[in-house]
Amino acid sequence: MKRCHALFTSAALGAAFCACCGCHRAEHRARLIAIIVPSQDNPYFKAEADAAAARAEELGYRVRVDAHDDDAYRQDNLVDAALASNAAAIILDNAGSDASIAAVRRATRAGIAVFLIDREIDATGVAKAQIISDNNQGARLVAAAFARSVGPKGDYAELLGRESDTNAQIRTRGFHAVLDQFPQLKLVAAQSANWSQQEAFQKTETMLEAHGEIAGIIAGNDTMALGAAAAVKSAGLTRIAITGFDGSPDAIDAIRGGQLQATSLQPAVLISRLAVDEADLYLRTGSTDRPEKQIVPCDLVTKGNADNYRNFEKIR
Amino acid sequence: MNSAAGSISQVSRAASASARFVLLLLRARAVLVLILLLVLFSALAPEFFTANNLSILTKHVAITALLAIGMTFVVLTGGIDLSVGSIAGLSGMAAGYLLTQGIPFNSVVHYPPVAMVVLISICLCLVVGALNGWLVTRAGVAPFIATLGTLYIARGAALLISNGKTFPDLGGTVRRGSTGFPAFGQSFLLHVPTPVWMMMVIFAIAWVVAEKMPLGRHVYAIGGNQRAARLAGIRVQQVTLTTYLFSSLCAGLVGLIIASQLEAAHPATGESFELNAIAAVVLGGTSLMGGRGSITGSLIGAFVIGVLADGMVMLGISEFWQIVIKGVVIVLAVAVDQLQSRLQARLVPFLAQSDQGVAR
Repeated sequence: MKRCHALFTSAALGAAFCACCGCHRAEHRARLIAIIVPSQDNPYFKAEADAAAARAEELGYRVRVDAHDDDAYRQDNLVDAALASNAAAIILDNAGSDASIAAVRRATRAGIAVFLIDREIDATGVAKAQIISDNNQGARLVAAAFARSVGPKGDYAELLGRESDTNAQIRTRGFHAVLDQFPQLKLVAAQSANWSQQEAFQKTETMLEAHGEIAGIIAGNDTMALGAAAAVKSAGLTRIAITGFDGSPDAIDAIRGGQLQATSLQPAVLISRLAVDEADLYLRTGSTDRPEKQIVPCDLVTKGNADNYRNFEKIR
Repeated sequence: MNSAAGSISQVSRAASASARFVLLLLRARAVLVLILLLVLFSALAPEFFTANNLSILTKHVAITALLAIGMTFVVLTGGIDLSVGSIAGLSGMAAGYLLTQGIPFNSVVHYPPVAMVVLISICLCLVVGALNGWLVTRAGVAPFIATLGTLYIARGAALLISNGKTFPDLGGTVRRGSTGFPAFGQSFLLHVPTPVWMMMVIFAIAWVVAEKMPLGRHVYAIGGNQRAARLAGIRVQQVTLTTYLFSSLCAGLVGLIIASQLEAAHPATGESFELNAIAAVVLGGTSLMGGRGSITGSLIGAFVIGVLADGMVMLGISEFWQIVIKGVVIVLAVAVDQLQSRLQARLVPFLAQSDQGVAR
C-alpha cells in the first residue's frame, strides 16, 4: 500500500521531470516573448509559431509557445499567464476579431507589447502592430490563374470557407472581382465546406453529380482544394482545374503532381519574423517605426515555381 | 496467556495505526498532490508563487471550481451533467444578445440593465437545468443520455441566438443604461477578483447544504441506494431535480463570468468544460457511482487541475505533453480512489478492533 502511494508520488514527480525536459533552457536574464497561435497541429500555425520562436531565440529572448484552439477564453488565460510571467511581448495569432480585444487591451494596459500576426482585430491603437497577409490581393492572383487554367469559358464551382470567418468573405470577394469579368465563366454551384477537407470531398462529389460540365473548382483554402481534388479523382474525371489558397506543403506537392493548378501562398514565416523583429525594435527603442496595420502580399504558386517555396516560405 | 494476548493486541494496534495513517494519506491525496504541485511549480518558475500570479490562478480555478461544485451534487445522486459547458455558452450568448440587441417591445427596443441581464440569462440556464431534471426524474432517461441531449440542444440554441457570430462590445453604453457588465467578472473586491468571491459564496452554500442540511443528507442517500432512500420517505425526484438546477445555475454563472471577462460572447464558449468539471469532481474523491464524496474535495480537485494547467503553461511545457500529463493525473487519481476503497474494506476488521480498544 505504501508502495502504491510512492508510485503516485513518483508519477507526479515524473510529470515534473517531463516539465524540465519540455521547458526551454531557463536563462534567467533573458526576457520572455510569449507566442500564442491557434493550434500546433496545423502546418500553417506550426510554421508560423516555429518561425517566430526561432527568430526570437536568435535575438536572445526566451520563448514560450502556446495554442488557444480558437477558444477566446483559453486565449484569455494564456494572455494572463504571459502577464504573470512578466513577458516583454506577446506575438499573437488571435482567436476572433471581436472576442480578442479585451485580452489584447489588458496586456497592453499591463505594459506588455502585443504584436498581432495573420489575423486582425476590430480595434486599432490597442496592439503595437497587426501584420497580416493580403487576402484580397492573394485571391485576385489565384483567381486570375484559375481563369487561365479553365479557359475563357466554362462552368465552375466554388468552395467557400466558414461563413463567419472574415477571411472567407474577403477571399470570395477577391475571386469574383476577377472571375466576374469573364462573362462566359459561369458559377454553377457555390457551397461552404467550412475549411474542411472531408466536407469539401463530399460537397464536391455532390456538385459533380449535379453539374456534369464543371471545368474548374476554386476553393477558399488548400485543405478544401485537396478534398475537391480527391473527389474529382474518385469520380474518374480529369481536366478539372482546381485552385486553393494558403500555400500549404501538401498543396504545393499536389501542384507539382498536377492535381492542383495553383495556390496563393500566405507568407506566414515572413510575417512571424517581421513581428518578432518589430517587437525587438520596440523593446529596445520604444517604437516600431511602422504603421500599426501592415499588409504583406501573397505569392502565386504554380507548377512553374513550386520548387521555390517550402513550408510557407519563399526559399529562393 | 495474558502476555500473549497483550502482544497480539499490541501488534494489531500497531498495524491498525499504520493502516490508519495510509488511509489518511490516501484520503488526503488531492491536498498532497496540490501541495506537491505548488512546491514544484514555485521551485521551477520564479514568477509562479507571486501574489499577482496566485490571484490570476485562483480566478482561472474559479471557473472549473464553480462547475465542479455544481456537478458534485449531481454526481453524488449517481447522475452526471454533461450539459454544463453548453449551458455556460448559452448564458453568455443570452447576456450578449440582451446587452447588444435588447428586447423589442411595442416597436421600441428596450435595453435591460445589467442586473436584469444577469437574472434573465441565469433563468434561461435554470430552464435547461429543469429540462435535465425532468428528463432524468420523470421521463426516466439515463442522466448520461439526457444531459448529452441537452448538451447539443443548449449549444445549438447558443449558435442560433447569433447565427454563429460573436456578440462584441459588451461594455454597453450610458445612453442605453447598460454599462457595467464587464465589472461582473473583471472587478476586484478587497483585491480579490469577483469570480473568486462567487466561487467562495457558492462553495460556502454548497458546503453547508451538503454537510449540515437534510437536503445534503438526502442527496447522499439517493446516491447510496435510491430505492432505500425512497422507502425512507425522501422525495427522490424533487431532490434530484434540485441538483440539476443547482448545476445549471453554476454553469450559468460561469458563462456570464467568461462573457464579462472577454467583453464578448462567443457561441462556442465552454466546449469541453464538462470534462474538466468531471475531472475535478473525480480528483476530489467523489465516486461516479454516487453516494460518496465531498464538496471540499471537488474544490481541491479544481485547484489541482487549475494549478497543473497554469503551471505547465508557465514552464513552457509543450501543449501535447500538457494534455498527456493531465490525462495521467486523472487516471491515477481514479486508480488511487479504487485502491482506497479496497484498502478500506480490507482494513475494516483492524479498524473495528482498534475502535473497540478505544471504546474500552
